[in-house]
Amino acid sequence: MGQQLRYLPLSEIIEGMVLGAPLAIAEHGVTNFTLPVGHELTTSNLHQIALRHGEFACVLLDDPRSDEERAAAIERHRARLDRIFARADRSRPAVAGLYAAVLAYRSL
Amino acid sequence: MPLALSERVIVERAQMLPAFPTVVNDLLMTLDDDNATIGALIQLVGRDPVITARVLSIANAAAMAGRIQRDVRDMQVAVSLIGVARLREIVLTLSLAEFAHGAHVGRQFWEHSVAVGVAAQELARIGRASVDFALVCGLLHDIGQLWMARCHPLEFQMVRMSREQEPGLDIIEAERRHFGVDHCAIGSVLAGAWQLPPSVVAAIRHHHEAHPPADKLVAATHVGEALANALDLVGHDQASVVEVSAGACELLGLHWDDDLNFLFGRIEARSRFLNRIFS
Repeated sequence: MGQQLRYLPLSEIIEGMVLGAPLAIAEHGVTNFTLPVGHELTTSNLHQIALRHGEFACVLLDDPRSDEERAAAIERHRARLDRIFARADRSRPAVAGLYAAVLAYRSL
Repeated sequence: MPLALSERVIVERAQMLPAFPTVVNDLLMTLDDDNATIGALIQLVGRDPVITARVLSIANAAAMAGRIQRDVRDMQVAVSLIGVARLREIVLTLSLAEFAHGAHVGRQFWEHSVAVGVAAQELARIGRASVDFALVCGLLHDIGQLWMARCHPLEFQMVRMSREQEPGLDIIEAERRHFGVDHCAIGSVLAGAWQLPPSVVAAIRHHHEAHPPADKLVAATHVGEALANALDLVGHDQASVVEVSAGACELLGLHWDDDLNFLFGRIEARSRFLNRIFS
């Protein structure tokens, strides 16, 4: 089974989820709590994150879709982006850059 | 024939909207002094029983999430649990949510405002501008449309119909056709009348421009709206990106070829969270 990265608010994260990116919480510019990528979150971790005013985390979720289903989902995202950018001039570098960055994010 | 709207008329008719929450101005004025902020914040929150109750409720939820066995009834304890930065964010968003609710805004309008507020905040963080000012800019960037809908519902409906009949018609052009001015101009007049800081007025005034003035809050609001629409944070049928200014991105230090997944993920997660709390 494949996996996918998802950025979720803390309220949607439960114990047992695995971090898909390192978690670092800073206050007043000083990092005071870190967890590494691949760490399996415990209830205690979630309490600690809440106490430090953490708001979200990147987690790795199982992705039961087939390769074809994943490719179809990316195509749907591309079609939606095409509609959103229908009146934009995508030859302009900033517009093209925004389009490509969002498509890359939706393809995670 | 478009309406002929002077600034005086726009301000006079704004009486059809609820009173603007002065706590927003008061809070923005305290931002430069960290020591004053905590005391002033507690005092500001204490003036409004609705906001007080909501803040204590959020603090109690934070206490439960942190496994702290206590019933939070004291604002000092609430501040320690929520954090000053988060409390400012809550008070600003809650005040403007109450204002929007009183003006009977549609759910999508408010959710879009929150999404742009969060995006502007995150971009301000990158560009080292005030995140609280950026939040207010985002939450109020389309306030002119709210005025249009409340004060001239017929013309507002005609703007919508014009855009349905001419799908390529830009919203600014459609508004000028029926109102003589666009929502950016109306919003900036209102923001000035409510004595919001000049940088907030400028962000509302210029957020649709292809080449906005070189000001970080204007840039954060302009790029924030493009980003909120591109990420489709509200799922609105009319979500559209027409332009994003290269100069505004440069001013914020935002480079599209960097890995922006973390930034986008943060914006998406925070926007969803705030919309759940404040919708």
